[in-house]
Amino acid sequence: MFQSLIDDFQLCFVKADRWRYLLKGLGVTLEVAIAAILLGLIIGFVVAIVRSSHDKYGKFGFLNAIAKVYLTIIRGTPMVVQLLICYFIILKSLDKVFVAILAFGINSGAYQAEIMRAGIMSIDPGQMEAGRALGLSYWRTMLKVILPQAIRNVLPALGNEFIVLMKDTSIVGYIALIDLAKGGDIIRSQTYSVYTPYLTVAAIYLVLVMTMTWLLGILERHLRNTGANPVHNDS
Amino acid sequence: MSDILLKIENLKKSFGKLEVLKGLTTDIRKGEVVVMIGPSGGGKSTFLRCMNLLEQPTEGSIVFEGIDIVKADETTKNHVRSEMGMVFQHFNLFPHLTILDNITLAPRLVRGIAKPEAEKEAMELLTRVGLADKAKAYPQQLSGGQKQRVAIVRSLAMHPQVMLFDEPTSALDPEMVGEVLDVMKDLAKNGMTMVVVTHEMRFARDVATRVLFLEGGRIAVEGTPAEIFDAKHEGRLGEFLGKVTGVGFREKVRDELRDILADNVVTPEEIDCIREMLKESRK
Repeated sequence: MFQSLIDDFQLCFVKADRWRYLLKGLGVTLEVAIAAILLGLIIGFVVAIVRSSHDKYGKFGFLNAIAKVYLTIIRGTPMVVQLLICYFIILKSLDKVFVAILAFGINSGAYQAEIMRAGIMSIDPGQMEAGRALGLSYWRTMLKVILPQAIRNVLPALGNEFIVLMKDTSIVGYIALIDLAKGGDIIRSQTYSVYTPYLTVAAIYLVLVMTMTWLLGILERHLRNTGANPVHNDS
Repeated sequence: MSDILLKIENLKKSFGKLEVLKGLTTDIRKGEVVVMIGPSGGGKSTFLRCMNLLEQPTEGSIVFEGIDIVKADETTKNHVRSEMGMVFQHFNLFPHLTILDNITLAPRLVRGIAKPEAEKEAMELLTRVGLADKAKAYPQQLSGGQKQRVAIVRSLAMHPQVMLFDEPTSALDPEMVGEVLDVMKDLAKNGMTMVVVTHEMRFARDVATRVLFLEGGRIAVEGTPAEIFDAKHEGRLGEFLGKVTGVGFREKVRDELRDILADNVVTPEEIDCIREMLKESRK
């Protein structure tokens, strides 16, 4: 029994250096996930500011319309389909990793935008007024007063979106990009062993998510210690 | 005429179909302490918020530093606001920043003052209002009165030409009103130009150089504190002052009680009468 486990392990990972599939795959997964999170953050910020500025202060009518179309399309179609369209129709000849980063970044941007918009909308209007009354411009007040508070309030939700995004990258196999999940799949197809590769891949994802949760927890505690707890209206 | 800081003419403001300001004209002169009183919904706060363009007036003009700021572009408006301090009813301190950072944020970003200098001045101002020991604290750790004193200091750090106060003591527990009013009195004594919306009639009487009674979107009565508070007024102003100072009511109660106690017997009907008066006093 025990011996057969060791044999299976040998077959799947040691023989023919198959562990390289997992290591390389892990690299691709991390590369796509981290870059897409950052791209999504940038898109999310811009779209959230446009949307909430429009809803709260009636600014950016045209940009707001574009943002709404973007949100509707991205949130209304499956991620896999978006990835396929990106790779086979829009960005045919480009590097697969690059295409994956774009597809996931654009997708996650929509969800991050809505999370951050909720955060911005939750800030008391008196904060914007106080900033403007001191002579700060709209954008300065947004960046220095509103956003720091908004992000602190939505960090748990934002962290959740990061985790979902990282696990969602496991569908890049659809465009024949070898990530962690696909790496495990290749090992299965070469060895006809099912349990060991898939369970190992699952365990690695689990460790990644736990690490991310831990890091986000540290960040959250750090933000809570600098400054007070979530905002009260009469601050 | 050069001592006129704000020249406001025929100022109107509507929210949709609701006309809140129906054409106000007045001048704010350097060193004046103008106190605005009046029933709620009369337009006091809206008028104040129009002065630094937190509300965009619908019509009329406000001349400040020689230009009509109602029609100014965004950059000019930012400049205008940086020259006018504003203190809010709900303080609106920035909860994610320390007291010191709350105060130095605008001087550093808007005026471009270096951090050490800005902090040095912030500490001097904090010392003036007795809160130097709170520099590293966060707003949440302060009492209401302390928050409002910090909010005043935050405005002062920009060296404004005029300070606008929008019911600065209305959100405070009664025992904290005094400490905030003391800071404001101190400012007035040092020659700061101030426009104050308040329900503190004693403050208005003691500190104001001019009192405006706003009612129905207009300046209904205007005068010195003596003219407003010491004379008898008919109509809306008399009614309003009677309510907030309790003058008319107090006299009525006194007369009633005198009648009731005159014969040294208190009948059940008279007890009911006292009950009625108590009920009325709670309104």
